[in-house]
Amino acid sequence: MESDINERQGERTPLDKLLSDIALGSRQAFEKLYRDSSPQLFAICLRIVPQRSEAEDVLQEVFATVWRKASQFDAERAGAMSWLAMIARNKAIDRIRSQPRPQTFEPLEVAQELADPAASPQRDAQAAGERERLEDCMKRLDDRRRSLIRAAFFDGSTYEELAARVGSPLGSVKSWIRRGLLQLRECLER
Amino acid sequence: MNSSADDAGDLGGQEPPSDELLAAEYVLGVLNARSRLAAEARNGVDRSFADLVGAWQRRLAPLALEVQPVQVPRRVWTRIQERLGWSLERRIHIWRLTAGVAAAAAVALLAVDLVPRWTQPTESETQLTKAVTTLARDDGTPGWLATVDAQHGTVLMVPVPSAADAQGRAAELWLIPPGQAPRSLGAVSIDRAHTVAVPAALRADLTGRAVLAVTLEPSTGIPHAAPSGPIIAKGVISL
Repeated sequence: MESDINERQGERTPLDKLLSDIALGSRQAFEKLYRDSSPQLFAICLRIVPQRSEAEDVLQEVFATVWRKASQFDAERAGAMSWLAMIARNKAIDRIRSQPRPQTFEPLEVAQELADPAASPQRDAQAAGERERLEDCMKRLDDRRRSLIRAAFFDGSTYEELAARVGSPLGSVKSWIRRGLLQLRECLER
Repeated sequence: MNSSADDAGDLGGQEPPSDELLAAEYVLGVLNARSRLAAEARNGVDRSFADLVGAWQRRLAPLALEVQPVQVPRRVWTRIQERLGWSLERRIHIWRLTAGVAAAAAVALLAVDLVPRWTQPTESETQLTKAVTTLARDDGTPGWLATVDAQHGTVLMVPVPSAADAQGRAAELWLIPPGQAPRSLGAVSIDRAHTVAVPAALRADLTGRAVLAVTLEPSTGIPHAAPSGPIIAKGVISL
């Protein structure tokens, strides 16, 4: 897969090295990894779990998991920051799914952009390359598919919640998102 | 079933989606609680499904880096250390640094009282049910199970058998009342269950707020005045 080739060519980032030290039990490396990555991971958790004290709780879980599972990180398969980010998303989504969620969503304008990708800092060359490709492919989706996928990704909304937010039938929302995902895959593997 | 965009019908219908789409939906996070649990369970046991999930994680992860970093309150790091059991070790470390020769000498004077005896369980222990305290290792697995009898001043220690320390150090049990220095309860076995007698002076400290910890110490001179080796297991007393 292209992203793997991309990653193999890139240099090992400091986060990779920290994770392999953590796998050997280095608390110093863990503390450094926490300093370097926790603001980004906290932001990811907060988008999905907006209540701060809950998001802080989730972040604790994320790092407890990182400490336990650092040995499972495989630099050949994923960038370190991507690996960490997906743990954070997973824990945050688990959290909101495990409790009844108040239906207090902003209605979603279908073509609305939820964040300005150009405004965020580039973290390292490898991540930047992957991001650029994904952004490029996201841009090729039609507005409706793109904004639904972004809303799902950043807010952790279910199909049902998204259907309520856009005021469209559940079947249509599923269909738009599924087509969007398959189109995205096709574009990324081109 | 591994269908592509073309053979997946109208994609919004009631029929279950292909594995490819299910993996994508799981990673994207659009599944409701029940479907998500099912997908998660499959991800744990079905290698080919897990590969699909991994591929979708790699595809979508870069999006997560778009979010602007947010400063994390300092308390989160403190709590993570607590959760991993590191703050307790720091407390012991600080005590080690501050406790002087005087403290060691004072404890030595009490050593007659402190020498613990491995005794047989009393009859009452066989008749009553008691809470079990887990002394967990760093990775969360149990190292010892302890049953504390505050009334009789005994602690039954049941080890989950482990390899002996490569450096020949012995396991030593400590009672750590809240806010206080660790007090030695003597040696504990790493492969045999036995009862530790708690010196009369320390019995009042066998409360649900105190911690039992096991450290690795030189095999001579037990009970030591203060721990010098690493904590290998610990837990808050359950009564």
